[in-house]
Amino acid sequence: MKAVGASLPRYDGVAHVTGRSRFVDDVSVPGMLWAKALRSPVPAARIRRLDTTRAEAMPGVHAVITHEDVPQNVVGHQEVWGIPPDEPLLAVDEVRFVGQLIAVVAAESEGQALAAAQAIDLELEERAPFLDMRKAWDSDQPQVTPDGNVFFYYPDQPQRQIRKGDIAAAFAAADVIVEGVYRPGAIEQAPAEPAAALAIPGTDGRVTIHSTSQALYYSMDITARHLRMPMGRLKFVGGTVGGGFGGKIDTKTEPVTAVLALKAQRPVKWRHTREEEMLCSTTRAAWHIEIADAVTNDGWILGRKTLTLHDAGAYMMTSAYACSKHSFHLAGAYSIPAVAFNTFVVMTNHVPTAAMRGFGVTSASFAVETHMNRIAEVLGLDPWELRLKNANRVGDTSPSRVVYGNPSTVSTLLAAAEAAEIELDDELRAMTNAKRAGSLLPAHLMPQQGEPEMHPLAWRDGRPALEGGR
Amino acid sequence: MRLVVNGAEHSIDSPPLTPLLHVLREELRLTGAKAGCQHGSCGTCTVLVDGEPRRSCLTAVAAVEGAEVTTVEALGDPSRLADVQVAFDEHYAAQCGFCTSGMLLGAAALIARTGRPVEREEVVEALGGHYCRCTGYVKIVDAVVAASRGERLGAMAPSTLEIRGTAS
Repeated sequence: MKAVGASLPRYDGVAHVTGRSRFVDDVSVPGMLWAKALRSPVPAARIRRLDTTRAEAMPGVHAVITHEDVPQNVVGHQEVWGIPPDEPLLAVDEVRFVGQLIAVVAAESEGQALAAAQAIDLELEERAPFLDMRKAWDSDQPQVTPDGNVFFYYPDQPQRQIRKGDIAAAFAAADVIVEGVYRPGAIEQAPAEPAAALAIPGTDGRVTIHSTSQALYYSMDITARHLRMPMGRLKFVGGTVGGGFGGKIDTKTEPVTAVLALKAQRPVKWRHTREEEMLCSTTRAAWHIEIADAVTNDGWILGRKTLTLHDAGAYMMTSAYACSKHSFHLAGAYSIPAVAFNTFVVMTNHVPTAAMRGFGVTSASFAVETHMNRIAEVLGLDPWELRLKNANRVGDTSPSRVVYGNPSTVSTLLAAAEAAEIELDDELRAMTNAKRAGSLLPAHLMPQQGEPEMHPLAWRDGRPALEGGR
Repeated sequence: MRLVVNGAEHSIDSPPLTPLLHVLREELRLTGAKAGCQHGSCGTCTVLVDGEPRRSCLTAVAAVEGAEVTTVEALGDPSRLADVQVAFDEHYAAQCGFCTSGMLLGAAALIARTGRPVEREEVVEALGGHYCRCTGYVKIVDAVVAASRGERLGAMAPSTLEIRGTAS
């Protein structure tokens, strides 16, 4: 055990402080072309005409690609979990968000590539966009996908749903119902390094791709599927990533440069501008979260109902997964014997949303912890006491019926109180993570029994998917 | 057009209004300065022009003709690191590393300008225009203060280097 507890030098520390770390945009190879994209200027439109003839004849242009050039244009980011693929790499007959990729040019210089991308003949028939997820069920709203504005987890069930205990009895027994609505907004990951890729075609049919991906093999898999190539024909070079924070899981620059490089038979580099990063790359989603809690005057939470809407943006990306994770965390770190959670993936004409640091969970934590303060305020209780009483102990169960074997909520709360110099009563300070007993085991927490009503993820035609429920 | 970069004189082919950043990165192949936003907002492209920190993405190359341009490549090399580079390494002030070159030059200019140990507030003021999205600011300030005092932790003891060797 030489490393644990030791202060070790970073393996890349000297390279970073001497400017020698090679990020993707620092790599150049002879004969390299530059890519620039034509993107949708509007949030929703049918593509009436897409003609690249003029662009192809522009000075310095070696290749222009549209959806017709991509061997497998539509690839899903969650197919492994059973979520059907829906997002084209390059738009086919419609665009669903501002900045959606339509065509990409490879030319001798970035300026030539940009001029050619702007010379592509594009005619759009604009549609009214759907932008407010709260109107997902309104019949007069524009439809984002042919299947509507709400994603169906199962053929008969649109929501990620979790049930535990007798929710009707909990609300009947409550002294007070405390309600709240929480709306955390979308956030751009904004790493310092914009996404970039450099694809180099080999004479043996292999392609080497320098990638800013923070999930190299994931991006390699997505690229291989777009190219319909076995992964063995791709060589991904990565690992030096100028920040990602979730945003560099998305895989666009890699397959685009690979398709261009194979068409032009030249190395192609594409680097996003900061504008592209801010306008067109995925963000953390915006959420709409409604909570209603059945509580007693002395500060026990008997039951919780939630309704969550998740603004997935125009394509699924990782939203179904984010909403599952969100739902599992809607009790926070607290033991609630009866829950009814409903979480909906809503498709809108916003930029697709995806990973960012604990996505799905952070929105739940924000709503739950703000709601705990609201309960304390309504009941006139100390918020520390409310949290410490309801905090998970050994033997408590999560909404999805995971039995906690070693929870640390009480000790964490006490450490936080100490760090914040909060004076707690002796009774609270003496609390531990140990199994509930005495006044900390009220009648409603005794029978934490019963199976949650969860179903495995399934395709829309009803075939069970790989990821099972419990 | 002639440009002095890191003590060496170069004849520049790029047009006069080309951003200095592009001349450094694309023409001279000095990639230490980074293109983070190309709007003058993030600080990753910072270089020294006659010792003063400048946003090379907003600086036309013609505007620095005849001036001395210093990039991170001239601060020190792995066998002969500058104090500020040692401090950044020892204090783990470089996380992803993308903002590090600009931070180092901003810090080096501050230390050179003050010529004495600096206060934390001075570092925050001087590096306020440098964006570290990994949010490692505390360690960066620690490192600059330590460098200004000439402090070295000497953290890289033989035992830790041995571990680095066995891990590879």
